[in-house]
Amino acid sequence: MTAAASTFAVSCNRITTTGAGTLLREQNLNRFLAQVEKRALRIAEISVRDRDEALDLVQDAMIRLARKYADRGIDEWTPLFYRILQNGVRDWHRRQAVRNRVMVWFGRGKNSAEDVDVIALAPDPGGRTPDEQLQNSEAMQSLEQALRELPARQREAFMLRTFEGLDVRGTAAAMGCSEGSVKTHYFRAVHSLRDTLGEHWQ
Amino acid sequence: MNNTDDKSSSSSDDPFAIKAKAVFDQSVDSLDGHTQSSLNRGRQKALAEVDSRNISRGFWTRWAPAAGAATVAVVAVSFWIREPQLDAPASDFELIMAEESFDMLQDLDFYLWLDIDAQTEPDPDANIDIS
Repeated sequence: MTAAASTFAVSCNRITTTGAGTLLREQNLNRFLAQVEKRALRIAEISVRDRDEALDLVQDAMIRLARKYADRGIDEWTPLFYRILQNGVRDWHRRQAVRNRVMVWFGRGKNSAEDVDVIALAPDPGGRTPDEQLQNSEAMQSLEQALRELPARQREAFMLRTFEGLDVRGTAAAMGCSEGSVKTHYFRAVHSLRDTLGEHWQ
Repeated sequence: MNNTDDKSSSSSDDPFAIKAKAVFDQSVDSLDGHTQSSLNRGRQKALAEVDSRNISRGFWTRWAPAAGAATVAVVAVSFWIREPQLDAPASDFELIMAEESFDMLQDLDFYLWLDIDAQTEPDPDANIDIS
């Protein structure tokens, strides 16, 4: 067998082996994303108060995970995915803060005497009709409202630990902080939520 | 990663956390079909990213070794069957050894002798006074 023919044969063999591994990785990734996507959407929605924005953030996180970290171990996907998602949420809040400042500046320029509370007049950010709002669990609404009042890091720690079920180590990886910080954030979040929601909520 | 053996701040033991999780799970389960369809589309887009990565990677993995071997073979064959170039400029030696140059070479000796003789013999007209 000539050198060229043997080289081609080796590359064909590598295709078969690589193809099977790739297919398995895609199946695992599909399974993982299908399992995490709904909880991730609700977590993002609580943070940004808009379902469409939350959908965009979750989709972006999925694409980034697939693009950059599909080759990592399956055990790493959960903290990596939420790390990407939380970064997206934080960027979203920064953009909103800048946009709101600009909007307020223009608003004051036109009618300085009329300080209209734009946020109060805005429709429900979740896009829910009044009927839909009634249908939602009152408990979930109270919890969402209480979560939004928390500092961002406490909210992140609580949702990742409680809603997603990550342990301290996984939460630290997702938040990009130490395990001690996670415990502190979580502890404060739980106490704040209990105080806000009251005994009757439990 | 989902080990909940951490005793210091375990969310699985706290009644408040248990209730919060239950309420949250209920809200997750009640997501409407339109939203779930959107999530599914997003997931397919993400999986397509993996596909496009593997296609470009597979292209090089599959064809690079064969292309390299083919290139080496072509270069080797081109050296093997290379013909001598007939239109190369003639060297000075060839010019000198061409048959038609011999006469000039013989005359060249004569011209050299003339040149030497002219340099050594005094000029008979050098001291003519024309005044």
